[in-house]
Amino acid sequence: MKYVELHTASAFSFLEGASRPEDLVSRAKELEMPAIALVDRDGVYGAPRFHMAAKTVGIRAHVGAEISVEGFGSRSKLPDWMPNSSSLRPVRLTLLVESRLGYRNLCRLITRYKLREQEKGTGTATLEEIAEHAEGLVCLTGGEEGVLAASLSNHGYDEARKNVERLISLFGRKNVYVELQRHCDSEEERRTQAAVRLAETLSLPLLATNGVRYATAAERELLDVFTCIRNHAKLETAGRLLERNDERLLRSGEEMRQLFWDLPEAIHNTGEVSSRLKYTLAELGYEFPRYPVAEGETMDSFLRKRTEEGFQNRYGGKQEELFERARKQVQRELALIEKLKLAGYFLIVWDIIRFCREQKILVQGRGSAANSAVCYSLGITAVDPVGMELLFERFLSEERGEWPDIDLDLPSGDQREKAIQYVYQRYGQLGAAMTANVITYRDRSAAREVGKALGFDQETLDQLASVVDSGEWRGPSDNFENHFQQVGFDLNHPRIRKYWELCERIQDLPRHLGQHSGGMVVCQGQLDAVVPLEPATMPGRVVVQWDKDDCADMGIVKVDLLGLGMMAVLEECLELIPRHYNTPVDLAQLPPDDLPVYKTLRKADTVGMFQVESRAQMASLPRNAPKKFYDLVVQVAIIRPGPIVGKMMHPYMRRRQGKESVRYAHPSLEPILKRTLGVPLFQEQLLRMAMVAANFTGGEAEDLRRAMGFKRSEERMKKIEAKLRSGMTQNGFRSETQDEIITQISSFARYGFPESHAASFALIAYASAYLKEYYLAAFTAALLNNQPMGFYSPAVLIQDARLHGLRVRPIDVLQSEWNCTIEHATKDGKDVPSLRIGFRYVRGMRQAAAEKIVSERQKRPFEGIEDVTRRVPEVQKAELVTLSEIGALNPLGKEMHRRSALWQVERAARPGGPLLDTIPEQLELSPLKQMTDEERLVADFHGAGLSTGPHPMSYCREALSKQQVKRASDLAGLPDGQYTRVAGCVIARQRPGTAKGFVFLSLEDETGISNIIVNPDLYEKYRKVINGEKFLRVEGVLQNQDNVISIKASRVLPVAIRSVETESHDFH
Amino acid sequence: MAFACLFVSDFPVQAVVRLEPELRGKPVAILSGAAPLTKVFAVNQEARVLGVEAGMTKVQVESLKGITWKWRSASQEATAHAALLDCAWTISPRVEDGERREKQGFSDTVVLDLSGCEKLFGSTDKITHDLKRVAAEVGFAVNVAVAGNPQAAVCAAHGFAGVTVIPTGEEGFRIGKLPLEALRVPVEFIETLRRWGIHTCAEFSALPEVAVVERLGQEGLHWWRLAQGRGHHSLIARDFPTTFEEHMDLDSPVELLEPLLFVLNRLLEQLCSRLRMHILSIGEIKVTLALEPRDSRSKEPVLHIRTLRLPVPGLDSKLFLKLLQLDLEAHPPSLPVVSVRILTIPARARSRQLGLFLPLSPDPERLEVTLAKIQNTVGENRVGAPVLLDTHGPNSFRQNRFVLAEMQDKRGKGEKRATAAMRIYRPPLPATVEFKEGAPTFLDCEGARRQILAFAGPWKRKGDWWSETPWAREEWDVTVRALRPKVQAENAYRSENEMALYRVYKDLRAKRWFVEGIYD
Repeated sequence: MKYVELHTASAFSFLEGASRPEDLVSRAKELEMPAIALVDRDGVYGAPRFHMAAKTVGIRAHVGAEISVEGFGSRSKLPDWMPNSSSLRPVRLTLLVESRLGYRNLCRLITRYKLREQEKGTGTATLEEIAEHAEGLVCLTGGEEGVLAASLSNHGYDEARKNVERLISLFGRKNVYVELQRHCDSEEERRTQAAVRLAETLSLPLLATNGVRYATAAERELLDVFTCIRNHAKLETAGRLLERNDERLLRSGEEMRQLFWDLPEAIHNTGEVSSRLKYTLAELGYEFPRYPVAEGETMDSFLRKRTEEGFQNRYGGKQEELFERARKQVQRELALIEKLKLAGYFLIVWDIIRFCREQKILVQGRGSAANSAVCYSLGITAVDPVGMELLFERFLSEERGEWPDIDLDLPSGDQREKAIQYVYQRYGQLGAAMTANVITYRDRSAAREVGKALGFDQETLDQLASVVDSGEWRGPSDNFENHFQQVGFDLNHPRIRKYWELCERIQDLPRHLGQHSGGMVVCQGQLDAVVPLEPATMPGRVVVQWDKDDCADMGIVKVDLLGLGMMAVLEECLELIPRHYNTPVDLAQLPPDDLPVYKTLRKADTVGMFQVESRAQMASLPRNAPKKFYDLVVQVAIIRPGPIVGKMMHPYMRRRQGKESVRYAHPSLEPILKRTLGVPLFQEQLLRMAMVAANFTGGEAEDLRRAMGFKRSEERMKKIEAKLRSGMTQNGFRSETQDEIITQISSFARYGFPESHAASFALIAYASAYLKEYYLAAFTAALLNNQPMGFYSPAVLIQDARLHGLRVRPIDVLQSEWNCTIEHATKDGKDVPSLRIGFRYVRGMRQAAAEKIVSERQKRPFEGIEDVTRRVPEVQKAELVTLSEIGALNPLGKEMHRRSALWQVERAARPGGPLLDTIPEQLELSPLKQMTDEERLVADFHGAGLSTGPHPMSYCREALSKQQVKRASDLAGLPDGQYTRVAGCVIARQRPGTAKGFVFLSLEDETGISNIIVNPDLYEKYRKVINGEKFLRVEGVLQNQDNVISIKASRVLPVAIRSVETESHDFH
Repeated sequence: MAFACLFVSDFPVQAVVRLEPELRGKPVAILSGAAPLTKVFAVNQEARVLGVEAGMTKVQVESLKGITWKWRSASQEATAHAALLDCAWTISPRVEDGERREKQGFSDTVVLDLSGCEKLFGSTDKITHDLKRVAAEVGFAVNVAVAGNPQAAVCAAHGFAGVTVIPTGEEGFRIGKLPLEALRVPVEFIETLRRWGIHTCAEFSALPEVAVVERLGQEGLHWWRLAQGRGHHSLIARDFPTTFEEHMDLDSPVELLEPLLFVLNRLLEQLCSRLRMHILSIGEIKVTLALEPRDSRSKEPVLHIRTLRLPVPGLDSKLFLKLLQLDLEAHPPSLPVVSVRILTIPARARSRQLGLFLPLSPDPERLEVTLAKIQNTVGENRVGAPVLLDTHGPNSFRQNRFVLAEMQDKRGKGEKRATAAMRIYRPPLPATVEFKEGAPTFLDCEGARRQILAFAGPWKRKGDWWSETPWAREEWDVTVRALRPKVQAENAYRSENEMALYRVYKDLRAKRWFVEGIYD
């Protein structure tokens, strides 16, 4: 019988294993093992990946876990007088799942003690809980972490025997195996000999395992590093915490047989146990919850009724032709939903939407759900899929056999939390949970933690972390080798080389479990029988042990409740506009094709607008020149890696501008690509192309998209490509055309937007543009109150609003509230709204203190600084100092300036006690000088991150003009190709993954924003200046192509402006 | 009342350069931190001109040509500071240590009370120049400042280069010109004052006193008074030293006596100059040579200590050098020398009383001498107290210097003791082990070939993979007919056929076998 490794821990034992589950499986396959069991610490975190990988290579994946348990004593530890003598840790039981009942018991057992744990990773199961959940589980006595080893080491043979007898009473005699491991360690061997004796005495079977913690010997080094990270130790001093040798690797049957030459039955039994373990994750037993309906009603009939109601509402007033088409579509969809038994799912999402509406929470479905007329009718989405001819199969298809994906956008913050809590409440703590987010080691975290383990000091690690880009574009110079050189590391030094090598190897290994931003899973009955649940860091949240991809792989349906900053902005606008402009606003009733809005969009004057404000969007807006809503849908979708990498953006733009004629790869594709001028831009088009060109069914086409998606498999892609080609050949496509179509499909299947999703986003983009155009003060206030979000910092948003004529007033202790507010003034008999910056922008200010100031002020105005400190003792000195520095206290006294306020604050904040309280201030006036303009600017940015005063560049404009440096607003008047100089504050640095290492800078001056392109060579040359300086002067050739203006940098210099702490949003 | 302050700028550099006068005027940077985390700790002005700054990594600056790199030596800094104190004691018996700089672990300042010194040494001007000269004799370029109070003197010495004498009453005016940093005001005060738009001492001192107290409290008032050149601090005089010490870390290990004598000569000259300042003679010289350890993992240096008691106290450095040469020729260090420390004890009898309640124990210095004598008898590296190391590695103990405090048994109650004891051969015995089908069959050691009758193993250990000295070994416990008597356990008579259990191991990196020890 072949040897099966039944005790393998992966990196999902979080810092106690060093290999990915996939790597363990592929190594097991190489070693010709017929099956392998994964037993991670206190969970089944890696089980889905393990299962999927095993399924692919055709071996059986057994499920199990090491369970921390109390009642069996603690693991043996180093004597107290030794360094690194760690605290006592509970022993762990190795449990293997034999049946579905066993799996359910394991998940419930883990959930039970995990939900009880006060501190992450400290939970332990009690003996009673184990007894309750023992059925269907096989128990091994474990390796060094197990009951047997601990008892033998700490208390001797008799205690060990007693404990094993307890295991027998818990699990039954035939379910307990005496586990033997041999890692070439004499102490372990002594235990092994004792264990053999014990097994003989108690007539228990022996079982050999290797207590695997890594796939190959080389990974022992990573495990040592993990051990150091876990114990906050350094390799140099970790001593006996580290591995003794590298024997905990996955061994072949032959090697194991040699190791256990004297105990062949221990090897033989592995095969027997493996054949006992019938359960795999293929039979998970997940069921989506049923929506409760009234008696006499089925979920299908209930859904039909709700859809019909919504349908009449949505399509009732539409043209007959559209109405009819929509009716047919809805019927078709309902039939499919019934067939696939998905009515419950739709009703549950509908229920969440209904809750949000009742609570006046803005909500909108996006993603492929917007392809469904049923979703549109139920009010889940806001885009008419029939009117826009969207492809339903992208959302749901019979062949695919998987759950549809509905994403709901909610305003970020409290409103979203309300919706999440509603789901918890509705389905119970054990019926709903958030999906996990597995945090893996990335460049920066790898550099930090490995460095710490290797004993590098904090300062050096900070330096290194500062040069490591953690973004998507990795140029040839973006590797650890270069980063190490940049901070002055000698790569020839063996220790540094090791550091570098470990940083590379540790990448993508799991670090810990986080919580996904919005994915929720729900389950009929108890979710804890399907996957163990854990408490999330956020109070009131529960999280499953699997991430969203694993949940999808395991067929668990999820609903994404995503927080979208812009939704919160729109929601706030809906409240502000009627109050300050006396106009009601209904987002569903905005004028559809408002000319001024499109004019603004065409000018790329889009700072602050949703999805169209980025540098790349701005560069393409004048070319695309949107005139109607569909143009905006295209605009949202086109600046994506898919269309850019697939080289579709430029042909589309040329065709849009009439510079190139519209042509189709094949005449049969014309109906599909007509709307996008012959260029495929959306995922739906890709699917339709496959359907038309290669006779794919809807489901097959969606399969194709998934095959090309994130988890690409070469083999699967090749198969599908062959199928595509054969279909196209049948339909008479020439081979060049086939190549073209395949390139298009493969390049943007991964990164492209579905049209429905783009349409949902375009709706929000249009709404944001409309509100900015007509209600600038409200829009800007809402934007500032919902930061951080979007592409630009608050300082840039304010500067842009001012350039559009909005008066922005500074923070004022007598006027400001916590949030930014709108004030009114009358000019020429007209009401002019202006924006007052709120206390939320005072650095270090606490909301409670700010609110107390406001409430006290409402009772009676403040008379002076001392009055503030007396009446609002909650305000701390540091807050008062910052308020003084930014001039917020100036209105509290006659001739008060920032320094005189500071002078008074220092006295007021240091009370002299009741005896001295009555003694008045000796000096009427402060002896301090007023701040200069430049000092004020520095104080503004230091204390609030923004200034309502003149732009920093205006202070040096005169000097810059003498040096022929142009303003941003001057650039439009200069001819293409002219050598030009500009200067400004860096507000964004971008190095997109699709731009081959080009860097895009946005420089802001007092007149607007100028765009700079830096080629990779120049970037390397000026890297330090570009990344480190806040104000830059750039020289280069001006490019003005189709009103898109940029400067191709040939020289970059720092501009000497005092230390104004401006902030750039950097997207690498 | 007048007080003088001696301030040594770039102190860590000067602490090194004073013992290597050939480096004077050249760009020097002091490095600290073990490789690969070596960074520049301090630089002198000449190096600063070339663009070297403290905090840079060695790699960042090693491309710069013409800079001399030296390693930071805390001991050298300590002895340099002692020498600076000696300079001050040449003028006044009341000398105070300067404040130790945070995080840096050294003090670069001393303050002395000049009251009455004019009568002995002449005018203040003369005294300041004398101080500068004396400091130059022990290798320092110092700023000297005199003022009416110690704090003003310290501020002036830090703020003004060279010699500064502030006439009484002018402290406020002169100190006022300095930036706030010269006061060494804590950072939080500096930040507050900066916010107020105040950058110099004069601006600070112009603020009204009551207003300052109201805002900055008593501590603020203290700094405000300093900014005005006022101070009320009473000097806390240091005791005179009972021993004088010089220390030098060598750039590279020295094996030959001649270059070592060159170093010894420099240190002796410095010591003689310093003792001369105290009008003392040398009664006893203790030379401690730190040797390069054989085992690179050992963190404790191996010391070679020689003590010379002089029949007649004196200050003749040439004579002392000769005596030392003779002694070292008779007792040469067994390994290359990495650092030299000379401790001299002045001829006067020591007056310090031992603690009243100290238990009867050997006098530490006598114990040191006794240990040195034992070491001379039993050999290098064979005296000390063993301390277990936390590692899986072989020979996992270190030999600490024997000190009385470490005699206590630190093992906890109820802790298990090893069941089998093994006598380790040091060094291990080279051997050959023959294998058949994965099992050891014969052991060859010191000419004897033994059949392996029983074995257990292999036990594998592998560690320090991240370091420059990784190790890996495979151990076996083997039963064979006893090897030659010389490798048998002591006091055990073994017949020709008696069996013994040995631990043999293979150094997997060197691919060589050894017999490590025998089980009792």
